[in-house]
Amino acid sequence: MSGAATRALGMAKRLFRNKGALAGFAFIATVTLLAAFAGFLPFDPLAQNIVESLEGPSAAHWFGTDELGRDIMVRVVYGARTSLLTAAGAVAIAAAIGIPMGLVAGFFGGWRDAVLMRLVDVLLALPGILFAMALIAVIGRSQMAALVAVGVHGIPGFARITRAQVLSLRKRDFVTAVEALGASSTYSMFRTVLPNSWSPILVQVVVLSSVAILLEAALAFLGVGIPPPTPSWGEMLRTGKSYLYEAPYYAVLPGLVLTLTILSLDTIGRALSVVLEDRQMIGGDTKLERVP
Amino acid sequence: MKRRHVLASGLLGALHLAAPALLTGNQASAQQPQVRGGRPLRVGILQDMTNFDPQSFSSVNFPLIKNLYDSLLEYTPTGEAVPSLATAWTIAPDNQSVTVTLRENVKFHSGAPMNADAVAATLVKAAHPQRGRNVYATMSFIKDWTVVNPTTIRLNFNAPAPARQVTDLLQFISVLDPAGIENIDNRPAGTGAYMLAERVVGQRIRMVANPNYWRERQPVCNELVLTIFGEDAAASAALESGAVDIVYGGTARSAVRLRAAGYQLIQGPGPLVQVFRINTTRGPFRNAKFRQAFNYLIDRAAILRVGYAGLGEVTALPWAPASPAADPSYNTTYAFNLDRGRAMLQESGLTAAQMSDWKLLTNGGDEPSTLISQVVQSTLARVGVNIQLDLKQGSEYVDALLQGRFEATFGGVGNIQKFPSRLTTNSIYRTANNPVLGEPHPHPEYVAAIERVNRTFGTGPEVKAAYDNLNRVLVESAFGIATNTYDVGLTVAARNLGGFTLDIDNMIVCRTIGFTG
Repeated sequence: MSGAATRALGMAKRLFRNKGALAGFAFIATVTLLAAFAGFLPFDPLAQNIVESLEGPSAAHWFGTDELGRDIMVRVVYGARTSLLTAAGAVAIAAAIGIPMGLVAGFFGGWRDAVLMRLVDVLLALPGILFAMALIAVIGRSQMAALVAVGVHGIPGFARITRAQVLSLRKRDFVTAVEALGASSTYSMFRTVLPNSWSPILVQVVVLSSVAILLEAALAFLGVGIPPPTPSWGEMLRTGKSYLYEAPYYAVLPGLVLTLTILSLDTIGRALSVVLEDRQMIGGDTKLERVP
Repeated sequence: MKRRHVLASGLLGALHLAAPALLTGNQASAQQPQVRGGRPLRVGILQDMTNFDPQSFSSVNFPLIKNLYDSLLEYTPTGEAVPSLATAWTIAPDNQSVTVTLRENVKFHSGAPMNADAVAATLVKAAHPQRGRNVYATMSFIKDWTVVNPTTIRLNFNAPAPARQVTDLLQFISVLDPAGIENIDNRPAGTGAYMLAERVVGQRIRMVANPNYWRERQPVCNELVLTIFGEDAAASAALESGAVDIVYGGTARSAVRLRAAGYQLIQGPGPLVQVFRINTTRGPFRNAKFRQAFNYLIDRAAILRVGYAGLGEVTALPWAPASPAADPSYNTTYAFNLDRGRAMLQESGLTAAQMSDWKLLTNGGDEPSTLISQVVQSTLARVGVNIQLDLKQGSEYVDALLQGRFEATFGGVGNIQKFPSRLTTNSIYRTANNPVLGEPHPHPEYVAAIERVNRTFGTGPEVKAAYDNLNRVLVESAFGIATNTYDVGLTVAARNLGGFTLDIDNMIVCRTIGFTG
């Protein structure tokens, strides 16, 4: 087993000693698997049966049916696709832009740092939900629009965390040593500083995933998310709230799944943070490579 | 001159007495219970008003109009005209004018007398394209008017007009105090049973009884308080907790739930008709067969159930049951029939790709519209027409709707219980300057059918023939597929209220409402 694999396995073992993180991981894994393989199940989230509308949970429909007679559980499963895809896409966008911004700003400092951080300040000044709604108003309602909006909202977080980490590493002896051996700035940045900055970034990935799912649900709840009939947890909450008297399960059950997902991601994020902090404290995070 | 109507004002009392028999919720007895005031009548509404102008016929102003103003005449729930501020109206034998006799000793809230000059001043406003607001279009057949004496005014028409068209206008005209017309948006100036006492924007409107009101023993309650809740659930909860006596303008679903809980549900005779509006100048809808297939492809019963909790009726024509042109046989002929619809799609000669090349514009801010659009989307998928919804919100949707930037969309149509040509006040049904279908009108047979209705007088078979012709043309041209009636202004009331007066436009009339216990 390689050193990296051994380190990852050790970290996973420490992570799953936390029972909350283990439960959270199990829940997220279940939701992800169901979402990924939903297409193989013999259920159609769009199939209407108006005669069976707003029926309570039963053996035939575990979560009951909605106002169009659609199976709520099937829609929750397909809604997980929407939420997880949005989260993954948003994290990818935010990381792809935010990490290089923070890296350059922290490594070079000076005018680059000033310009990039003012840009981040501008993004931070925009309330996430309002920014997302404005963007959707311009480019229209779609999953891509929600994904981009949430992703842009996540850029400042990655940029600031990466910058802070780079600033703390920039003057460390091992970085100075690599540069003294003649390494270029690019090498030093990407091969020396960045690999040693992953810990807080990894935690940020988990945190932003939960924020992204919540924000996507909020957009759908406000009526500017993914248009119906595509299943979405937020859309189900939005519609379900109108039926709280007649069919409380309609809003409560999708809301429960959404809550558990957020709770699971936050629990994993917290446990991961503790594990990575412990690892840094014992020096296990410093990674050096031979300079070519 | 032939006299169409000279009825004593007591007939309004008869209407008042008959109203409970029309209650569709907890069926009240035919005998109207004795009602009394003694405490404020508290009404929960969902939206604040926009202005105090009765010519601004927006549903958000419905809680005010019949309480602050009186119109020249009223309709019974069955569509019969009865006196109000006008005691008589006589249409000339050549149908070229109407002479209106006004009630004497009626005063505005300001104390000024209501007379023919006031009616003339009101007509001046109504005839102005902007200031006349929603009444302007109905004034189109009026050429001019003459004040004969303080209690008589004569309105002259551009061309002979049917009696129902004339009474529709007189029912539409709420007489305004000439001194208050300039400031009518901010300050009411009517003769109504209640006078404005206080308005707190976004919260409440409080009215007190007009001490000089001309109807005897009305209003029953000395104070009327309209409280704005914004959310339907909040208004319903207020009713259930006893914080309000009535919820006006709530959703059908809440109304059905409250009815089941023992509250009174009052449905008026003036519903709207939901119409699947088709822009026949765009995409596959240029093809007549493709359009006509939608007469069979829309599951009206499902739409009524999902969108309106079953309150209303399915209809294949854009008329309320009280309309003289209503013809229930069309509901059977054009009932939901997938096989027939599929066959007509094939007859259209369009490819599957062409048939799916359009989007259904949907009002994302209106829950029933979003639901019924999904019902249509699902039904069309069953016959191989796969479309997407184009959800727009608020003004963005209204702009697209009124400027015809859509292939198809659902939209409510009003004035369907009155003279059939009043249908043309709705954008999709306009015969001239149609904002959706453009100029020249792409369906001249429809324009001719409306013109025939406008030029056919009397009550004989020729009138029915004109209506039958219009109905046939509506279905064949298929630019508007009616689906169901639904209620605006649903009234849900506490068990201890009585004395409801049904208004032909479903506005709430509070002057007769009182407490039974």
